Amino acid sequence: MSEVYDVCVIGSGPGGYVAAIRSAQLGMKTAIIEREWLGGVCLNVGCIPSKAMITAGHFLHKMQHDGKSMGFTVGKIDFDMKQLKTWKQSVCDKMSGGVSQLLKGNKVDIIMGVADFKNSGEITVQTKEGPKAVKAKNFIVATGSRPIDIPGFQADETDVLSSTGALDLEEVPKNLVVIGGGYIGLEISSYMKNLGAEVVVLEASDALLKGMADPECVQVVARKLKKNGVTVHLNAFAKSWKKSGKSLEVTAEVKGKMETFKADKVLLTVGRKPNSDEMNFKAAGVKVDSKGFIEVNPQRKTSAPGIYAIGDIAGQPMLAHKASHEGVMVAEVIACQNRVYDAKTVPAVIFVDPEIASAGMTEEECKAAGYTDLKVGKFPFGANGRAVSMMHTDGFVKMIADANNNVLLGVHIVGPEASNLISEAALAIEMGATLEDLALTIHPHPTLGETMMEAAEATLGHAIHIIQKPLAKGGKSGASARA
Amino acid sequence: MATKDVNLPDIGEGVTEGELVQWLVAVGDSVEADQPIAEVMTDKATVEVPSPYAGTVKELKAEEGDVIPIETVMLVLNESGAGAAASAPAPAAEPEPVAAPAPQPQTNGGSHAPQPAAATPASAGASAEMYPPVADSTVLATPGTRRLAREMSVDINQLQGSGLAGRVTRDDVLSAKGGAGAVSAGSPSVQMPAPSYQGQPGDMEERVSMRGIRKKIAENMQMAKRVVPHFTLMEEVNVTSLVKMRTEAKAMGERKGVKVTYLPFVMKALIATLREFPMFNASIDDEASEIVYKKFFNIGFAADTPNGLLVPVIKNADQKTILQLSAEIVDLATRAREGKLQLDEMRGATMTITNIGSVGGVYATPIINHPEVAILGMYKMEDKPVMINGKFRAQKMMNYTITCDHRLIDGAVAANFMKAFASRIESPSALMLDMI
Repeated sequence: MSEVYDVCVIGSGPGGYVAAIRSAQLGMKTAIIEREWLGGVCLNVGCIPSKAMITAGHFLHKMQHDGKSMGFTVGKIDFDMKQLKTWKQSVCDKMSGGVSQLLKGNKVDIIMGVADFKNSGEITVQTKEGPKAVKAKNFIVATGSRPIDIPGFQADETDVLSSTGALDLEEVPKNLVVIGGGYIGLEISSYMKNLGAEVVVLEASDALLKGMADPECVQVVARKLKKNGVTVHLNAFAKSWKKSGKSLEVTAEVKGKMETFKADKVLLTVGRKPNSDEMNFKAAGVKVDSKGFIEVNPQRKTSAPGIYAIGDIAGQPMLAHKASHEGVMVAEVIACQNRVYDAKTVPAVIFVDPEIASAGMTEEECKAAGYTDLKVGKFPFGANGRAVSMMHTDGFVKMIADANNNVLLGVHIVGPEASNLISEAALAIEMGATLEDLALTIHPHPTLGETMMEAAEATLGHAIHIIQKPLAKGGKSGASARA
Repeated sequence: MATKDVNLPDIGEGVTEGELVQWLVAVGDSVEADQPIAEVMTDKATVEVPSPYAGTVKELKAEEGDVIPIETVMLVLNESGAGAAASAPAPAAEPEPVAAPAPQPQTNGGSHAPQPAAATPASAGASAEMYPPVADSTVLATPGTRRLAREMSVDINQLQGSGLAGRVTRDDVLSAKGGAGAVSAGSPSVQMPAPSYQGQPGDMEERVSMRGIRKKIAENMQMAKRVVPHFTLMEEVNVTSLVKMRTEAKAMGERKGVKVTYLPFVMKALIATLREFPMFNASIDDEASEIVYKKFFNIGFAADTPNGLLVPVIKNADQKTILQLSAEIVDLATRAREGKLQLDEMRGATMTITNIGSVGGVYATPIINHPEVAILGMYKMEDKPVMINGKFRAQKMMNYTITCDHRLIDGAVAANFMKAFASRIESPSALMLDMI
């Protein structure tokens, strides 16, 4: 009765749906299982809706702050959060609907429900109509991750919100306490502030975005947060919260002292964990490591024959685009093509203000990897015509190269449209490009992209649009940013 | 108690590492100076490594099967005598460091330069079916080139990129697949897929670790077959005159205490022919895309030993007499069987002769001893009827083969070579004409 699929993908996020489409393109009979929304966290409660909200926040901020210099007198701006939410939802629906169309167009069977492994060749899906057995020769597990809680705080999505709840608010809270100064916490903090909330960030470590970005880039963001009026407490451990009248009160140990913070909502963004405690992986013989990631090889094969894992559940970095890349690769591996995960870099973007984006290694990582001789150079957005004309001059492009052969090892951008600029760096690193390759590629004027060319020149010691020591031949980075 | 580190000594010119075949001592054993402590296999020879000091073995720093770079610590000795006495009042705090502070993990991969860790997530056991291995993060090649290499089963980690800063180009991958370039002239090891063998459970089968000379032979043969396009030409040669000549020479040799075999005569005929056809006494430098013609004649000969095939080499064979060659062949063959050859006695051949005629077999298709470009085979000698002047006569006949690297030597050239060689064997007096 139950048919046997060539490929059954579990989870329809950016890893899963991509894997399903490529599997179908390769002529394999494919099914995809989804328990909540097609497109997964990314399209519905993650990447996409947060970008919609961030865009709105920037829009309001620009009207209020930048208009005046350009001659606009902006009066009182009426803002309807419910309408913003509706628009945000329409963005998500459009993307999710697109996924549905693509899956159907590729003749992928969509099964809505919660899946559990019965054994390595069969899952049981709890659908609305009851349990359904699905057999497949190959399974691709792409069930992602979920936010974690900390002692004293559990997301109830009413008072204590996870990112999911924060993206779905009907009104802007007056006071928002954000626990966790990682990229999700800061992305939400910055748009909430722009939309009018008073935001306090409590970060347990001694720095924002710890281990997620180049420390110099983080400094620029920290300064801007302060300038915009976001309060940041480092070395701050949130302990508990309670209701106090109509609002909430959060107690935290800040640098050893107990302090209380008033809040209307608490946002809990302290990290995410892989969903490997679900789906009964044991029954399928799929091994999970001590951090909760499914153990995989470079072809994303798990310990169980015929079962593959991709995306957040298969290891760091937990990024949508890594999952998609793995999805295509695994589908091709199943179709007997010789493929392996051998990307040199997974670029990362953080939509804070200004944006941070990186590809390749930081200086510290280069040194740990055995590169002893580095060239490091920077070019500031303040010296770029387009950035100035956009009124967006905070930040810089920083490049790191192997001093022996000028091969590019890392690029770190903080500044306007960093997220859109970083792809050039990722391509350069994948191609094994040198600083000269970037410097000698004509970049169109006037664009933000010119900063890539100039940063390469600066790292070689002779950028045009900043003052550098004459002919710093082969020396260590002559570039000193004039930010 | 004073300890002394015992390093793997320099065991031959150009040797950078050796595989530990077997420990000859264990922790706690007392060792005298110059006592062999381990068998280490390099290139083709297995050598016994002596201890430079006397003492008691405190710790073995490597496991059998490990590849050890030279001048690396192999074991640690507690010095006997003076050293021990000097630290006499040492309290009995440390009885015997049984499995005391675990010795740091051994260098398994040999003397590789420090490599940046691969950027890929930890693998759950690299599977045998995945070949080639993942490109290291330091490999410079575009994603498209990396994929091409994978699809062509070329291990991109092994390639020397021809581009700027060692970038591996599309052409590098294509030519690697073509055979040339895949292996730089100096590096004999080629990484091959390692398919597993699923055997029978129980005691139907026995598993023995593939190591030492057997492993080296396997690697060399695999590499030669992969790199060199072989072809073999066969010929039947009338050796009646040669037999007569050798019979006389044998008697003369015996008076001088030297056993004269056929091999020195074949060597002389071969060298004379090599002078005529220098491309048989050559090598191909794949990396440089150049043919190297050698102006010296070192002739290797295959020797069957209890441990496997070894190829001792007679250096400057062109400058030695039949008697000298005979004596040297006997000496090298004997020591090969006893496993006592020095490493440099098996190196530097410009061409090799394989002689399995004493055992049997009509013809064989030998594998060239890379980087040589040809190998001469000699087989069983038999009495056969041969038509001479209209009558059948009993003649001594012997089969020869010449196996060539077709990149350098074409079929017609090989046929001419064989013709020239056979004429020298058939009329050994002609050898006099070539004599220096």
